[in-house]
Amino acid sequence: MSHNESGIIKLQSVGFLRKTMGDYFNRLKDAVDTGNKKIAWCTSVGPAELLYSMGFEVYFPENHGAMLGASKIADKYIPSAVALGYSPDICSYLTSDIGAFLQNETPLQKSGFESVPKPDILVYNTNQCREVLDWFSFYAKHFNVPVIGINTPLCINALTPNIIQNVAKQFEELIPELEKVSTQKFDIDKFRETIALSHDGCVLWREVLETARHKPSPINFFDSAIHMGPIVVMRGTTYATDYYKVLLAELKDRIKANISAVPNEKHRIYWDGMPLWYKLSDMAKLFAKLNTCIVASTYCNSWVFDDLDPASPFESSALAYCKLFIVRADEVKENVLEKLMTDFSIEGIIYHESKTCSRNSNNLYGLHTRLFNKTNIPFLEINGDLNDPRCYSEEQSIIAIETFVDQLGSRK
Amino acid sequence: MYRAGIDLGSSYTKGVLVDENNNILDYHLVKTGFDFKKASQKIIDKFSENFKITYPVYTCGYGREQLDISTVANSEITALAKAVHHKYQRACSVIDIGGQDTKYVKVNASGGVERFKMNRKCAAGTGSFIEEIAFRLDVTPTEFNDIAQQATEEIKINSYCTVFAVSEIIGRIKGGTSLSNLVLGIYYSIIDRSFELSLIEDFLIITGGIPDNHPLIVKLFKEKFKNTESPEKSQFLSAYGCVLLNDEKKDE
Repeated sequence: MSHNESGIIKLQSVGFLRKTMGDYFNRLKDAVDTGNKKIAWCTSVGPAELLYSMGFEVYFPENHGAMLGASKIADKYIPSAVALGYSPDICSYLTSDIGAFLQNETPLQKSGFESVPKPDILVYNTNQCREVLDWFSFYAKHFNVPVIGINTPLCINALTPNIIQNVAKQFEELIPELEKVSTQKFDIDKFRETIALSHDGCVLWREVLETARHKPSPINFFDSAIHMGPIVVMRGTTYATDYYKVLLAELKDRIKANISAVPNEKHRIYWDGMPLWYKLSDMAKLFAKLNTCIVASTYCNSWVFDDLDPASPFESSALAYCKLFIVRADEVKENVLEKLMTDFSIEGIIYHESKTCSRNSNNLYGLHTRLFNKTNIPFLEINGDLNDPRCYSEEQSIIAIETFVDQLGSRK
Repeated sequence: MYRAGIDLGSSYTKGVLVDENNNILDYHLVKTGFDFKKASQKIIDKFSENFKITYPVYTCGYGREQLDISTVANSEITALAKAVHHKYQRACSVIDIGGQDTKYVKVNASGGVERFKMNRKCAAGTGSFIEEIAFRLDVTPTEFNDIAQQATEEIKINSYCTVFAVSEIIGRIKGGTSLSNLVLGIYYSIIDRSFELSLIEDFLIITGGIPDNHPLIVKLFKEKFKNTESPEKSQFLSAYGCVLLNDEKKDE
């Protein structure tokens, strides 16, 4: 077992994670080098299953955005996108990704790529935000390739048959263009098979997250934010299911052996909002020092599409991707969060108000105070951003987090 | 047994010397400057002139864990709540206005933090805000209080952003607004910004370097919310709270 200076015992699966992600990028690179497979760009909660079933290699710019953030280089690129006309107040995945492209740089160059893989088509779903359409449109224009997608209604309260049928139809309507670009005929059986695999991967991922219900938790948010890679970029493939079987087994073993993510877990916190990618490891150390485990998060729990059903691939895709937390009305979100508080024995919530991602910041319309009034679970709001470190005051936030943990301690 | 509490703030480092009965025997304030260690050493040296200090020293604030001497670090907010409760012996709300931060702290009946909130990104409404405006108006921050006393009219200055506020002041100067009315407007903008932090319904304590050095601000707070008090030398409360917190731990 390897310990780091905070006494944190690293997950062994991280080696297999690196291999799984490395192989994914190798497949993309092979498609770039040989041209024997078409490349589709897809939004992180876009129709990945449809694309994989039609033989595309699928590239996710948001994953690339997170890489720029985690590599602590996003702020090098954001100014270029701002100079082009994108506001520094909009998604810093978008601005850092487009900025890096304008500067002809990418962390993928370390893996032998000349640049990000050129798309043959870009496919979005606006369920998460409108920025993805703007983002993809930039590249569609640049590469002169089609951009198609699904426009999901926002703030969905009841998932009515009308909404589901409409979105399911939009899924189906993507097929002719995808057939044209991929030069492959759509095969419903292949699609069903991919949907089944995606479902299985999501269930495994859910089970991984649910191990954190155990006290002490074998996994925390900072682990999950890294280990979610395969469910984001490979859902619908056996690569993802293979990976999560291994990770889940390790977490179950950790529970048996009483190995916890935070060596001396005293407090259990929920994280709402995006990770601060450039501060992931510093934050992991800070919370470990405070004997506090972030056991669940809106962000990681968002990649559980367990409604996917091979018996009704289009309708269940529509249902799964409309059920997504971010696209729901606050009333639904409140209920989801309230249940998570109980399921994971949460003592406090941290709302990360991300400067450039209001859709992922749930403290902007009073939800946090309403939830507090219902649950009496205290909360802390911190200002920051997913990728732009200029929006984050570290010293102020550390004091706030330490005080919050003191506050939780005085309630016990 | 003489214990020292030190609060390393962004602008000033505050120290208190406390005896075994938790009475404060001495206060000392130095500019924090570039070197946290030097600033805190100046305080230790001052206290050591007449007393033998017991180590560790109880610290909070920005450089709380980076001193060469033996220290126990605390959260300045937890410490502030403790000290305010020690003084008033009741649940209350605290607004602390320091050099970089404005904080709201809801103190519970046993002196713990029930909830708290810090100012948003910009330093508008904090000590730095006053310094920036004073520079633009070509007066020193210490003159602000006397100048504001001469005001004849309550004007509104935006409190969203320091740079916006400075631009607005330039516009006001052009429009003929007097210096005293401008300074009073700045005070009101600080108060507006503070009341954004939380709805306050109980008993309000104002603390920090700003109310200590700008007593008119406390008077204006009272105009907005009657049940307000600001203790003397309130900027030393977090330093004092550090000692009290650890006194409590010792008893546990």
